[in-house]
Amino acid sequence: MPMSTSRQSCSLSFTIAQASISKSLFSPRVGTLSLTRNGDGNIDIDTPGVIVNTSRGVVPHLSREQYKQCSSVRWVHVPFETFLEHKPPVPTLQTGQDPLHRFLGYPSDKCVVSMSLRDPHDGREVPSNGNAFVSANTIRGVRKVSPDEWRSYALACKPDIVVPLSDTPFNPSPYSQKRLTKSIERSFTWLTHFLQPIEGSHPFNVFVHLAGGASIAARTAFSESLLETLHGKDADMVKPLKSLDEGVTGYQLDLVPLRLALSGVINIDTSPVTTDPGIKTSDIVPLLRSSLFPLPTHKIRLVNSSKSPHEMLTLIQQIGVDLFDAQWAQRAADIGIALDFSFPVGNWGTRRRSNGKQDLGHNLFDPSYAEDFAPLANCFIGEATRNGDVPVCMCGACSPLSPHTRISHSSLDESAPNGGEVGQPFTRAYLHHLLHTHEMSAHSLLVLHNLAVLDAFFAGVRNAIRSLGNETFDLEISRFFQEYDEELLVFSESEAMWGEVEMARGKGRLTREKAKQTTV
Amino acid sequence: MQFEVIAKCHTTRARVSRMNLTHGVTMLPTFMPVATQAAIKGLTPQQVEALGVTLILNNTYHLNLRPGMKVLNQAGGAHKFQGWHRNLLTDSGGFQLVSLSKFTTITEEGALFLSPFTGEPTMLTPEESISIQHSIGADIIMQLDDVVSSLTTGPRVAEAMERSVRWLDRCIKYHEGSGKKSTQNLFAIVQGGLDPHLRHQCLDAMIQRKNDISGYAIGGLSGGEEKDVFWRIIKLCADKLPEDRPRYSMGIGFAEGRNFLLHLLVCVALGVDMADCVFPTRTARFGVALTHAGPLNLKLSKHEADMNPIDKSCPCPTCTDGTSRAYLHHIVTHETAAAHAVTIHNITFQAQVMGGARDAILSGTFPEYLRSFFAGYFGDGGYPEWCVNALRSVGVDLLQDHPVNLIPGSGAKWEYAN
Repeated sequence: MPMSTSRQSCSLSFTIAQASISKSLFSPRVGTLSLTRNGDGNIDIDTPGVIVNTSRGVVPHLSREQYKQCSSVRWVHVPFETFLEHKPPVPTLQTGQDPLHRFLGYPSDKCVVSMSLRDPHDGREVPSNGNAFVSANTIRGVRKVSPDEWRSYALACKPDIVVPLSDTPFNPSPYSQKRLTKSIERSFTWLTHFLQPIEGSHPFNVFVHLAGGASIAARTAFSESLLETLHGKDADMVKPLKSLDEGVTGYQLDLVPLRLALSGVINIDTSPVTTDPGIKTSDIVPLLRSSLFPLPTHKIRLVNSSKSPHEMLTLIQQIGVDLFDAQWAQRAADIGIALDFSFPVGNWGTRRRSNGKQDLGHNLFDPSYAEDFAPLANCFIGEATRNGDVPVCMCGACSPLSPHTRISHSSLDESAPNGGEVGQPFTRAYLHHLLHTHEMSAHSLLVLHNLAVLDAFFAGVRNAIRSLGNETFDLEISRFFQEYDEELLVFSESEAMWGEVEMARGKGRLTREKAKQTTV
Repeated sequence: MQFEVIAKCHTTRARVSRMNLTHGVTMLPTFMPVATQAAIKGLTPQQVEALGVTLILNNTYHLNLRPGMKVLNQAGGAHKFQGWHRNLLTDSGGFQLVSLSKFTTITEEGALFLSPFTGEPTMLTPEESISIQHSIGADIIMQLDDVVSSLTTGPRVAEAMERSVRWLDRCIKYHEGSGKKSTQNLFAIVQGGLDPHLRHQCLDAMIQRKNDISGYAIGGLSGGEEKDVFWRIIKLCADKLPEDRPRYSMGIGFAEGRNFLLHLLVCVALGVDMADCVFPTRTARFGVALTHAGPLNLKLSKHEADMNPIDKSCPCPTCTDGTSRAYLHHIVTHETAAAHAVTIHNITFQAQVMGGARDAILSGTFPEYLRSFFAGYFGDGGYPEWCVNALRSVGVDLLQDHPVNLIPGSGAKWEYAN
């Protein structure tokens, strides 16, 4: 394995806007995260904001050229475990600058790439971790990864941000006191190991998973251990760091293992997405607070696998979270939902349910969209409006740009016009058609759209934090809760229809569907 | 339609022409990617256009079932519905009736089939087919023809050919009266099975109707027939069809997609201008990338650590971005993004092969182009005998500077694990 230890400079800074600093430990805040690689210029990301998830290294349903065009793809998170199928993991073989960016096709001048061993959304049971390894999932079975291996992969791949190994149990809870203690101790040891200085090179930007499971005491203990002044062997190892926290850039809060620990059931389903409706956001808040309470406030707080914008708002409001992953919106694209909501609540929205609440998006599988030629979302009033009163979203599905270049295949081919013109939006009717005909393009367009809606939601949140007083911000949040359905009924409906269409293939499909429609 | 032949090959029957339709210019010879259900699988129309594609195909049968004519009429046609601003061609829907339904009965009135929605007998008449294609609004529309398998023998072949001519007249009449003639162009489909006599009869009848027809398709060769028979029929038709009309070889490689490339080049040499095939896009979804050196099966473990792109010299976004074979191996058949990446490459590759043919015909080097393509594609592994025979018939000897063995059969090339 080519193992260059020299690492280009890559520094991450986080600035919290002056106005937000004076407030309390957990109050909502806006900030800017700024990454400088090789002194080349910054990638700035506003917070609260969103990071995009990947599966096997790719943003599901997007092509590489769409990474460049889609403004929502700014920070992508790469779970590394699928690459363990090949030894050595293939991304470690990539040469040149920014190897992980290069291997996966994320433009290094535009994208921040972070890397963790495990997929933070995967709640499936895996065999226990050991004293010197973590069990990771691949399609070829479970692989053991040692702290040494993990560090060597990170050194070879040079991601902008790395999450060190953490001992998070993925077997049925409740966990004993002993298990929790072991979890904290191992996570501490592995973080210490990871923070060893790298000879002749810039240190990693490290985000640490805050361990401790569902126990307030354990979570507090882990966070406090990060701040302790180190002695003896540990101190020698991480010199010149005085405490582990000095080597940490951000704090990561993974909700999937937390929900598992709280619910006491393990997800034996093969689907890596778990949502236990029994676990409420209010059950989680005190646990997250106990982790963050001892720690300095100026570092980035990242939450993975938040289940809804409602939960995101709560976590911003009550804990001051800075970053969320987009898993929820990406999943919506998988199951045929075009998101349509805004913050603060706007005048235009989706249909209202009998309980008076609006859905967060449109289940485009629904037959009612077959002849609906409107653009995907209503909520963009005030954005660029082309036809006067029709609100338009600036994503690749609602405002498709004509190509700037066309490949010329012979000397006779006519050259392309300039390109870059905004075309007509793709309609709900077209997406409905694509979903029912199993066309992959449906999901590409929905990913582009849903990420844009989530982005706009966070822009609205930032704006509100900046310009509104605490009380007005809280009022806007309660309006959001009043207006939009928190139960996500549209998700379960869409998921059911998606499942049916997934199954519906082969001869006689149309007849069977017709028969079903007439019996309804 | 404005159709103009720009250059002809001095040796073969190949030619370069310019076809100006309602949605822009398409240079011929060309290959048409297939967007059966109003989408090239996985790509947006903008992505397809960026690849330099100017003409795609939609299937009438499928669009008629879903989304249905009501939706297409409301959308203002298939171009607007799918956001495609360049040229579009639709078939008549007749072929799928035969290939997808066991119960289709052909009567003089039209094709009687069991509706896949209601199970009730439904009639697709030539008028109905054209009417549906008018709703779709494609730049090129096809007549409804009476399709029989190329393996059919006996009086049914003659009957189908004669009926196709009669149906052509009904299509012409309906199209004339529709007011769509200025924006949509009707193509006739030459039938007659594998019988040269019947083909000649059909050609004579259809050429008589030339003034009402914008172009000609060669139908009834959908695989299964002997390759040596296949190219002889193509040659017979292409030789006889009028100079000043585009010639479209329909559904070649339907049964044996892997030979599509060879069919394509041989057909061009025989004088064909257009061809469609689902193969480049379908095979991409299974992880097979097309290259000048033969297909590359990215699922094979030999690619798992290969940091090279599919083809360093390929201008497609996948290759120019440096997407490695190792990366594609990792995601192929697991992520839709793999299908997108390889589809982008394969469509570009096909378009490059055809663009290269246009340039070679223009510069008088088409025979050399064919020889170097075969040499690169097959190396010393031997050439399919039918290709050698077909190209000899138009004055190109593939073996001239490259004496290799002749392989009987279809000549499909595949990449194996070692």
